[in-house]
Amino acid sequence: MKGLSNFRAKVKDILDGQRLFSTHELVVVGIFAAGSRATTLMVALIGGGMNPLTMVVRSAVHSALLVVLLAKVSRTGALTMANLVGGLLAFFLMGQAMVALPAIIAGTLAVEILIRALGGLEKRPALGALAVALSEFFTRMINVGVSYLTFREQPAMIIMVLVITAVSYFGILLGLFGGVSMTRELKHAGLIG
Amino acid sequence: MPVLSDKFQNLTTGRLDLTPETRLGLTFLASIFSLVMADSLSLGIILSASVIYLMLEIRLKVVLIVYLVFLGMATTAAFGLWLLGFWIEAMKNQPARLAVLPFVRVLISLNTVLPLALHTQLSSLTLTLNRIYVPGIIKLPFLIIVRFIPTFINDVQQLREAVAIRFCGHSGVVFWLRRPRLWWRVYFMPLVVRLIRSADELALAAELKGLSASTDFGTAPLVLGPVDKMVLVLSVTVITIATLVGKYKAGG
Repeated sequence: MKGLSNFRAKVKDILDGQRLFSTHELVVVGIFAAGSRATTLMVALIGGGMNPLTMVVRSAVHSALLVVLLAKVSRTGALTMANLVGGLLAFFLMGQAMVALPAIIAGTLAVEILIRALGGLEKRPALGALAVALSEFFTRMINVGVSYLTFREQPAMIIMVLVITAVSYFGILLGLFGGVSMTRELKHAGLIG
Repeated sequence: MPVLSDKFQNLTTGRLDLTPETRLGLTFLASIFSLVMADSLSLGIILSASVIYLMLEIRLKVVLIVYLVFLGMATTAAFGLWLLGFWIEAMKNQPARLAVLPFVRVLISLNTVLPLALHTQLSSLTLTLNRIYVPGIIKLPFLIIVRFIPTFINDVQQLREAVAIRFCGHSGVVFWLRRPRLWWRVYFMPLVVRLIRSADELALAAELKGLSASTDFGTAPLVLGPVDKMVLVLSVTVITIATLVGKYKAGG
């Protein structure tokens, strides 16, 4: 029993302590997640949810913000944190995100391990764009899976979901370029270390 | 300082005095079981139960508005499906009963998540996150999100006014459609600068106050009132009945 309580204390120490992320990094992650959610929501409200243009802009903004976030917090795990916290918020706004959340976290972690193997964000910050592109791809695929469960009586709905996903992924790719050029400017301005 | 739920105060009825855990549990149950079930009658039972729950929690006016928006989105989706039906053979001879089921699933989920989203206050949310053992590194950013969104919306409004002044009133959708690259530069770029600035400021403030992931935000024991117990028992009963109905129909 003592071993178990020791183990629990250790896990608690890791999860609650400053070992993984400093307070500063946590605050940055939180604020970027909030900004990304709020902007995408606002763009959706202005342009209407279902038209392709809005979807492209929405995902472009989202991925550009993620790239800037990874440039600001260049650490393994930052992307997972951002997805986790954003997913939790999505759950409070739309219940079914909860089903997808574990799979999304697993996919993002796999991407982080890959990035780590390629040298890690700490040494090669340029990998941030690749990380965002890959993790968004996984996340989208998992979401298609979940919507297959929801819409399984209508196979054609999945085709529609796939088309929508492809359009919004195009937006993600556009946003990567925007994010990279934005990061360059922000570095020049001294706002990103 | 505005917190999200303060603005929602007049949208809810407050007829059911539930703890956040009960609402969280109901949302969880509804989203899992509506995904698992495939029988129209069992989904119908759960749907009617969730509508009753929604009616008890949220003002009728808000429910009507949300349902109108949902109807609009569902019509768009149905129209898209109808268009796709011209290309895909499998779509053509589908019974209407099956075509409705997906929307029912989304609606059940919506019915349970609305009370959760509109009722939860920042303080009770903190307590709930503590009680269900959410680790500090997730809790801190999450609370910051909930707290920061109103401030962020304020920032966006200010930026919008600034853009309107500089570009002679062109700030809305028209500007965005006609000059997307300029929109990105004069609208989005300052927004990101603003985000980074406020992130740095808030982080500094948090560190000065000694706030970190290990900060104890305080706990209170979970007290389930009679209403909570009743709602939980009722929802489990409804789900059991719905499951049995589905089994019975599949068997005979």
